[in-house]
Amino acid sequence: MHDQWTDQLSDYLDDELPEHERQAVERHLAECAECRQTLHDLQRVVAAAGAVPARAPATDLWIGIADRLDTRVVPFDRGRRRFAFTLPELAAAAVLLATLSGATVALLMMTARNQSGPGGASDPSVAPANAGAVDSTPASDIDVPLDSGIVSAVSYGEVQYEAAVTDLERALEAGRGRLDDTTVSVVEQNLSIIDRAIAEARRALQADPSNGYLSGHLVEARRRKLELLRRTATLVAEAN
Amino acid sequence: MTTAVATLTGDQVQTRVGLDGDVALAASGDASAFERLYRTHVARIHSLTRRMLGSEWADEVTQDIFVRTWQKLGTFRGDSAFTTWLHRLALNVVIERRRAFAVQRERMSTDPSALDQVTVPPVRADLRVDFEQAIAQLPPGAREIFVLHDVEGYKHREIADLLEITSGTSKRQLHRARMLIRHQLGEA
Repeated sequence: MHDQWTDQLSDYLDDELPEHERQAVERHLAECAECRQTLHDLQRVVAAAGAVPARAPATDLWIGIADRLDTRVVPFDRGRRRFAFTLPELAAAAVLLATLSGATVALLMMTARNQSGPGGASDPSVAPANAGAVDSTPASDIDVPLDSGIVSAVSYGEVQYEAAVTDLERALEAGRGRLDDTTVSVVEQNLSIIDRAIAEARRALQADPSNGYLSGHLVEARRRKLELLRRTATLVAEAN
Repeated sequence: MTTAVATLTGDQVQTRVGLDGDVALAASGDASAFERLYRTHVARIHSLTRRMLGSEWADEVTQDIFVRTWQKLGTFRGDSAFTTWLHRLALNVVIERRRAFAVQRERMSTDPSALDQVTVPPVRADLRVDFEQAIAQLPPGAREIFVLHDVEGYKHREIADLLEITSGTSKRQLHRARMLIRHQLGEA
C-alpha cells in the first residue's frame, strides 16, 4: 500500500487532480498492481453508490404528515361570494365521494379478508407499526369562528376536529331556519352518507391498521365532512 | 403534462399554469394531490434523511420535510423540476436538523486515525453486501459527504457550501468514506 498515492486515488477517479499530479498518479499506477486494485475497488464503490436504490420507510408516515397540514381555505365573507359551488353541486360531490368511498372500502375489506389466513390475521411484518392507528387517526379541523371574516385554517387533529364538527353542527342547527327545507334535507342526507363512509373506513382500518391508503381515505372523508359543514354554515351566514 | 388549476374567488379566476397535475393541485390546497406527491417521492426523501442523519431520525425528519413542502408549495413556480425543488428543500431541512443536533464539529472530525484501521482484506470478495448497511456504518461526517457526492451527485464545492466546510475537507472525507466502504464490502 502506498499511502501517498492511495490518498490521491479518489481525486484521480473524480478528475479533481491538476494535470501534473494526474500524470504522476498514472505513472505510478502503471507500476503498482496494488494501487490499481485499490482504484478498481473505489470505482466499484462509486458505481454501487450511484445505483443504490431508494427505499421507502417501513411504516406509512402520511398520517403524521396529514396531522400537521394546514389547508388553504377561501375566506368567509358575507359581502362577497367566496366560492363558486352551488349547494346541489356540493351535495353531488358529497354523494360521489361517499359512493366511491363505500365501494373502495368494501373492495379493500374484501381484499383484506381474502388475503388473510383462516384466522384473519394481517401481515405480521407490517401490522405492529401502525397498530392503534385508528384511534389516533387525524382528521380535518377548523379553528376559527364562522363569522371571523378571516381566512380559516384547517388542521388535522382529533380533538380539534370533533370540537369543530360539534361547533359547526350547532351553528347549522341554530341557523337551519334560514335555509329551505329541501336544502337542509339534502345536506343532512349527504352528511349521513359521509358519516357512513367514515365508519366503514374505520372498520376497514381495524381489520388492516397498516393500510396507508385507508388511513388517507379516512382523513380525506373527514376533511370532506368538515368542508361540507363549513360551506353549508357559510350559506347560513350569507342568508342573514 | 401541463395543467391549469382554477380557484374561484368571487369574480376572479386564479390559475396556476405551468405546474404538472398533482403539483398544481397541491399548490392550490388539494391535500389528496399532496398525498399522491408524498407517495411518489417518499422513498427518495426518506432514503436521503436516513442516510444523512441515521435511521433513528429518518421518519421524523421525513415528516418535517413534507410538512415544510406543503407550506412552501405556494412559492414553487415551476422554474425547476418539482423533484429538484423538493430535493433541495429536503436537503435544507436535513442540514438544519443536523445543525440543531450540534454535531457538526464532532462529526466532521478529520482525524485520520480511522484510516489507519483500513487494511486491504486478504481475501477479495464481491461487493454483494447491503450497501445501505455499509453507508450506515460510516462515521457521520464521512457518511454525509459520501451520500451527497456519490449517491446524490453533488460536487465538492456545493457540499462545502452546504455543510460549511472546505472543499479540501470534503475531498478527504469522501476518500475516507470510500476506503471504509471498500473495507466493509471486502469483508463481506
